[in-house]
Amino acid sequence: MLSAAEAGVLDLVQESVVLRTADGRILWWNAAAEALYGARPARAAGRYAAELFAEETPEEDAAALAILRAEGAWAGERTRRGAGGERRCVALAWRLRRAAWGGEAILETGRDVTDARRDEAALRKSEHRYRNLFQAMAASFWELDFFPVGARLHALRKAGEIASYPAYFEARPEFVREMMRATRVIDVNEQTVTLFGRPDAPDPKAELLTTVEPFWPEASSGVFAASVVAAVSGRPSYAAETRLRAIDGREFPALFTACFPPDTMNKGTLLVGVIDLSARVAAETALAGMRAEMARAARVSMLGELTASIAHEVKQPLAAIAANAAAGIRWLDRPAPEVAEARLLTGRIADDARRAAEIIDRIRGMVTGAAPSAGPCSANAALRDAAALLEPEIRRDGARVALRLDPSDPAVAADRVQLQQVVANLALNELQAMAGRPAPRLDLAVRREGDAVAIEVADTGPGIAPDHLPRLFESFFTTRAEGMGMGLAIVRGIVETFGGSVRAANRPEGGACFTVALPAAEGPVAAAAHDAVNTIV
Amino acid sequence: MTPIPLIALVDDDAPFLRAMESLMRALGWRAEGFSSAEGFLGSTARTEAACIVSDVQMPGMGGMELMRRLAAEGGGAPVILVTARTEARLDEEARAGGALCLLRKPVEPQALIDCVSRALDAA
Repeated sequence: MLSAAEAGVLDLVQESVVLRTADGRILWWNAAAEALYGARPARAAGRYAAELFAEETPEEDAAALAILRAEGAWAGERTRRGAGGERRCVALAWRLRRAAWGGEAILETGRDVTDARRDEAALRKSEHRYRNLFQAMAASFWELDFFPVGARLHALRKAGEIASYPAYFEARPEFVREMMRATRVIDVNEQTVTLFGRPDAPDPKAELLTTVEPFWPEASSGVFAASVVAAVSGRPSYAAETRLRAIDGREFPALFTACFPPDTMNKGTLLVGVIDLSARVAAETALAGMRAEMARAARVSMLGELTASIAHEVKQPLAAIAANAAAGIRWLDRPAPEVAEARLLTGRIADDARRAAEIIDRIRGMVTGAAPSAGPCSANAALRDAAALLEPEIRRDGARVALRLDPSDPAVAADRVQLQQVVANLALNELQAMAGRPAPRLDLAVRREGDAVAIEVADTGPGIAPDHLPRLFESFFTTRAEGMGMGLAIVRGIVETFGGSVRAANRPEGGACFTVALPAAEGPVAAAAHDAVNTIV
Repeated sequence: MTPIPLIALVDDDAPFLRAMESLMRALGWRAEGFSSAEGFLGSTARTEAACIVSDVQMPGMGGMELMRRLAAEGGGAPVILVTARTEARLDEEARAGGALCLLRKPVEPQALIDCVSRALDAA
């Protein structure tokens, strides 16, 4: 065993010290071991380690013993029961020692590493989570080695070569490309391979682990330079919309973001995220296309209305000419020809011809629009489309839009574009009526009204003066100095083309409400999206 | 001796109205023109006319309404409608209201003459 002096010294040691036999019987332990395992040395003596410590893997002791006997020492970790019954991780070191009785004893020193291991596990878990995130995010992520570029810029700055980074980069486009070539790709995630890689390459990811230069089109160099400026001037992050290039040369619109946290900057690594904007740009292009189509439809519809009224007018003198000529022939064909009457009629024919020519002059240069289709189209979709179309105006006026759509998505017999135009036209009028008033709101609703589908476009504006109500839909009626007074006339023209009607009223709670009633249509509706029925934009 | 039948002509377009009057007279009929449906309804021609030729679209009462008014009173003279409008549904409306025919402007004079002849035969 140990001498009292030895034991006294060992009690001062911070590490736990356990003296045991090879078969695991405890001979003695020190004060630190008592604190760790919760039993006084006197009580521990004679008991077996496996039972006392409730070790999870006592079978490993055999292998440890073999090492100990072969090398005179062993080190490892064991999970043991601590003083409070909790599991503790203990780092052990064994030494073989001849005991006083001549037998074999093991001197074990132990250090409680439970907390350290827990921290390490947490770190591993967080690192694992980060790797998972890096890999699984829908965005493209890049880990870049920026160290050579950072070092070079630092040196140039120190040497007084660079007074202003932006000016320096601007004057040296080739230097910017050189910085790209010096920035190496350390790692990329799956999404990056999908977005930038060549799927049929033998190793699509390996191809991307080059420099960043191939991914930056010449025209986007300025964005790269700006991100470098942000990185070296201590800003925490940088983001810009730009065009980037896949490894096969295909360019696409992208949101480029870079993060410069101090700890990774010190290591010289950068984390860059790229989001593919193709879909958004495509949606914007489609929206722009829809606006253009609407503008065209508006022109066509206005022209259509004018042309119809001109055609109506020009037919009047033609009808008179035909009747006058027929009458003239009959007066002359009489047994006693009525030359005077025929002469009078001929003069009128000349007048009517002149009248027709004047009307035709007004038509000159005008184009007739194509006949609109008569649906079926979704009333819900027309409302949503119109709200999307007026988004800039709605945002500009700080207005809210409350959409109350019909969940059964009723179809109406009308042209989708023209119906959008009707709703947009009414809503635009209402936005103008609400200008400068607090909390402007457009209430757009679709509901069934017997065999018809009613589309309501209401506002929280001042309403319509009662004496204006009857004349509202007349051509050239307007209350605005800059208005042409054609909007509501066109709306009525379009709605009536499809056999519908439009009416205006004031809401009891204030504001105007226009109701467009259109015959419900049977049959499938093209591209009727079923999404949220009640939304507030 | 059979009295010469009176043809009532209603149209807000004065030149066409005059032209029809002259045509009717050239064919040996009597003709009286009115620039509005209301003017016709307030005249003696309302009961005397053997045939009414009316424009569809006029300020105030239109030809369709005039036709329905006369039919509602019962025993009215046959109505011939003329119009510069092109909508197909007008044919249906004219038929439903009991019009003898609906002619599109510019009216083919022979078609108008045929219609008036049929109206007088029917009367």
